[in-house]
Amino acid sequence: MEALYFNVSDGYLEGIVRGYKSAILNTTHYLNLTQCETLDDLKLQLSATDYGNFLANEPSPIAASTIHEKATQKLVDEFKYVRNNAMAPLSQFLDYLTYAYMIDNVILLITGTLHERDTNELLERCHPLGVFDTMPALCVATNVTELYETVMVETPLAPYFQKISVNDIDELNIEIIRNTLYKAYLEDFYDYCKRIGGVTGELMSEILEFEADRRTINITINSFDTELSRDDRAKLFPNLGKLYPEGHMKLARADCLDHVKAVVEVWVEYRPFFDTTLNSFGGAATSEAKTLDDRFFEYEVHLNKLTFQQQFHYAIFYAFLKLKEQEIRNILWIAECISQGQKEKINNYIAIF
Amino acid sequence: MPYSSLFRSEEMSLIQLYIPQETAQPTVAELGELGLIQFRDLNPDVNAFQRAFVKEIRRFDEMERHLRFFDAQLTKSDIPVRPLTGDIRNIHARSAQEIDDLEEKIIEHERRITQMNDSYETLQKQYLKLTEMKFVLQETRVFFDEATSRQDNIRNSFDEPTAPLLEQQDLEHGSESLVLHHLNLGFVTGVISRAKMQTFERILWRALRGNLYLKYVEIDEPITDPETDEVLEKNVFIIFAHGKELINKITKISESLGATLYPVDSDPNVRDNNSTEITSQIEARNSVLQNTYNVRRTELLKIAEDLNIWMTIIKKEKAIYHTMNLFNYDSGRKCLIAEGWCPSNDFDKINQALRNATDQSGSTVPSILNELRTTKEPPTFIRVNKFTVGFQEIVDAYGVAKYREVNPGLFTIITFPFLFAVMFGDFGHGMLVTAAALYLVIREKKFEKGISDEIFATFFSGRYIILLMGLFSIYTGLIYNDCFSLPLRFFPSGFQWHGNQTDAQQIGVYPIGIDPAWHGSDNFLIFTNSYKMKMSIILGVIQMSFGIVLTVYNYTYFKKRLSIWAEFIPQMLFMQCIFGYLVFTIILKWSINWNERDNNGELVHSAPPGLLNMLIYMFLQPGVVAEEDKLYPGQGFVQGTLLFIALICVPWMLLTKPFIMRRDHKKIRSQGYHNPQMDTTRVSTDEDNEYGGAVVAEEMFEVEEFDFGEIMIHQCIHTIEFCLGCISNTASYLRLWALSLAHAQLSSVLWDMTLKPTLGMSGVLGTIAFIIAFTLWFSLTVFILLLMEGLSAFLHALRLHWVEFNNKFYEGTGRKFQPFSFKLILKDDDH
Repeated sequence: MEALYFNVSDGYLEGIVRGYKSAILNTTHYLNLTQCETLDDLKLQLSATDYGNFLANEPSPIAASTIHEKATQKLVDEFKYVRNNAMAPLSQFLDYLTYAYMIDNVILLITGTLHERDTNELLERCHPLGVFDTMPALCVATNVTELYETVMVETPLAPYFQKISVNDIDELNIEIIRNTLYKAYLEDFYDYCKRIGGVTGELMSEILEFEADRRTINITINSFDTELSRDDRAKLFPNLGKLYPEGHMKLARADCLDHVKAVVEVWVEYRPFFDTTLNSFGGAATSEAKTLDDRFFEYEVHLNKLTFQQQFHYAIFYAFLKLKEQEIRNILWIAECISQGQKEKINNYIAIF
Repeated sequence: MPYSSLFRSEEMSLIQLYIPQETAQPTVAELGELGLIQFRDLNPDVNAFQRAFVKEIRRFDEMERHLRFFDAQLTKSDIPVRPLTGDIRNIHARSAQEIDDLEEKIIEHERRITQMNDSYETLQKQYLKLTEMKFVLQETRVFFDEATSRQDNIRNSFDEPTAPLLEQQDLEHGSESLVLHHLNLGFVTGVISRAKMQTFERILWRALRGNLYLKYVEIDEPITDPETDEVLEKNVFIIFAHGKELINKITKISESLGATLYPVDSDPNVRDNNSTEITSQIEARNSVLQNTYNVRRTELLKIAEDLNIWMTIIKKEKAIYHTMNLFNYDSGRKCLIAEGWCPSNDFDKINQALRNATDQSGSTVPSILNELRTTKEPPTFIRVNKFTVGFQEIVDAYGVAKYREVNPGLFTIITFPFLFAVMFGDFGHGMLVTAAALYLVIREKKFEKGISDEIFATFFSGRYIILLMGLFSIYTGLIYNDCFSLPLRFFPSGFQWHGNQTDAQQIGVYPIGIDPAWHGSDNFLIFTNSYKMKMSIILGVIQMSFGIVLTVYNYTYFKKRLSIWAEFIPQMLFMQCIFGYLVFTIILKWSINWNERDNNGELVHSAPPGLLNMLIYMFLQPGVVAEEDKLYPGQGFVQGTLLFIALICVPWMLLTKPFIMRRDHKKIRSQGYHNPQMDTTRVSTDEDNEYGGAVVAEEMFEVEEFDFGEIMIHQCIHTIEFCLGCISNTASYLRLWALSLAHAQLSSVLWDMTLKPTLGMSGVLGTIAFIIAFTLWFSLTVFILLLMEGLSAFLHALRLHWVEFNNKFYEGTGRKFQPFSFKLILKDDDH
């Protein structure tokens, strides 16, 4: 039935997003990009793609960061166009997508304040999708309660903040805050997608479960040899995903990479992550060893690509954002490789189509 | 070779140019001015940034960026750019030196402008700060005054929840002037943009738990932000709070939210001093600002003079190098090899241009042009002028003609406005349309220069179409005898009617069109409907038959003898046996006087038979016609025969061609020819064929494998489409009648509802009513009848051409000739 009514309010935007999706660079484009000798070549090459002349008014020589900034700006513009034209419940869904960026920005600001960086400089580095009105005031707060009461209470992140158990802001606690927020966010978003149900629920839970599992694994690996106790570690795992709950119990006890590997290998989908000999998920087969992160990204791209196989659902909006983000990461990687003369590493991007 | 007409596209040749490297740039420039060659890309495998002249292009890109920067600066300062005057042909760079000079000049200008902008911006920032400071001082005075007078209230708000009453009373005895110090009340003053005010207030309230007293006032003057040039609305605020900690916090919050803080002294005397000081400073800055502004403006004015010329030069240069990127080098890298299509008639012009370029650059080595033989399909080039271009566009929108195919554009010039007019036929409306189009045509020189409105540009580009549509509408309006739905009585009517009779007496024939006596008669609609319906069928059948005839021209030109008698003849027979016969009976029925009586006063003929039924029964009961339905003797036999012929035509169309093709193919096979390998016809006058000229190789000519099944399916579809198409297309022409009816009825309703009632009135009231009704009638006539109805008739005429007419003969699979021409490039960039 949802197929019947979907187009009434969201058909136009789905069309738009599918159009945006077809503008995502493909392997041929990447092949051309990697052949560039200078960033000006890259600019020329990008102007032949859907990016068009987004760099036309930038004086050469151009910096990799400028390319990144402009490309992000383009993505943000596209996303904002979709968001501004969206109706409920799609608008709510799209808002959920921005919460992740808000969390990142909040963490960035409080970390920066902790290290006494200049506020304006920090604000410039914030992701434009996660900007909210009261954000600059974050740097005033010195502890979590204050943070919550001064700023966060009126943001959509407020319920997530209530779940934070620590109060002082220091290096370790910031990580805890970040992960608690993210955990709360993922659980909330997951519930929300389940409530939407249908194809959206199906596809989004798949993606979010993977996201949760990835975080779980990352938290485990990153908490080796830190002050974080095992119980505290377990508290940071998002309560969803394929690893939940058995995997979580085992991962909470793990204390070296081999343990993690042994735990995760039980799940067939995740086995290749730790298998250094395999090249799966259709990524560009390079001889160089891939980092775990790369493999995660590859799998994420794979999942996101799958969403485009179905129609009348919201997951493509999520997928589009993530794929485009990956693309910008790729372009940045290639640009950095070119500007730093590291041509041998240039192929370590994650091809999308 | 004769110049091509609209009937077929121009003959094209593939040419190869050898251009010595040192004269390459001027030569290409000359060819760009000429605009007759469509260059082919000779290195399609080479990446955009690996081509030979990327460096030059990048240089021009950079210069263009500077120019765009100038343009932005000019728009910002409201300085108009001087438009181009004279021939754009004359604007071009003559030498490399000139380009270098230009680049230097542009960079110098840019440096100066940026410098001036920077200083201007700094000055403006200072100015901004001072103005804000001024406002802060001005407004805070009010706050302070209020604060001093209302200190009790302030204090109350601080102490209310806990303070015992007694203490409060005690405090009230304290010295009033010292209240601020007494309470240890600090304050922060500053300016913040109005949009952020609410957030600011909210955060402060929460951060300080309400322990503050905030006052703000809106600055009436909008303040321009020097960096973004946006006009911002700002507020001055002053916050009183208790204790150093809180003040620090407020400062921090304000700064992080983008407020600018200005310290204000709590002593009113110091404040007054500051205020006067700042006012004088502002005045000083103002004059400096004005000076800088003027200098900058003069500089920009200088740029505005030349900007368009520079832009044109750079665009041309860029286009030249883009084109040169398509070329190939010869083995010694001494000359460039270019390949492209050009009209065979224009060899002389191209040779002349090449010679000019060589002469001008003073080179001794001439460029060489030679023609290549090729099997590739050339692009379609149809020479149009300002009159024919509109009509050709109508055809091109459907599909560009295949090379040398019969071009329907020629016939469209007449048939399109005519079919439009059949639907739009009204003398008055036609007059209005013609007048409007004539105005556009007569003033076209003036309009051509600058049309910004897109809709108007559309009308303007179709002005000759509209003109013809208007003229034809006048003609059909005369035939229909309609002028704003009223009859025209140019001649005395052919009917005489005495008031008390039901029938009118015919006394003559009206010389042109429908007799005005018909208007207003009871059977007017019945008469015109029948007339227009039959006319639509006749026009349709004639146009479609004409389309079928045109296939013969294609078949003979492309040497497809077989198709003439395996496709054209059966198609024609099929069409004529059914619908040609229908047209014949329509005319026959018109030409019989059904009221003719013999000597005894008896009717000679029986009641006129319905033609629709006749056509239906021709299929249902072949060979039999009821006696009372007969139009002429022997009708049954004739109809039976025609139907038989039509039926024969179907298998004829379907089977002959595929089977004959198979027979021929088998014959060739049995003679031992297998998969004929066409040689690659590598043509090059270059002696060393290893590289150089050889690189300019022709692609292999793909020979299609003979596949009988595919041909059969194709033919089957074609046949079915034709046979069903004949019927549905004929019916489709009835839209001529339907739209014509709608138009006539709509205009008569409009007349009856608005203008007609007021004509009878007299006196002042009548005049007023008439004026109102006339405006109403006229505007509705223009907007509904002319624009909307006209658009609808236009679209239907378009459809009749695209679908009913074109599908009889037109393939439209060609690609348009797109020559390298500065004129086109500059025009494209303008939009």
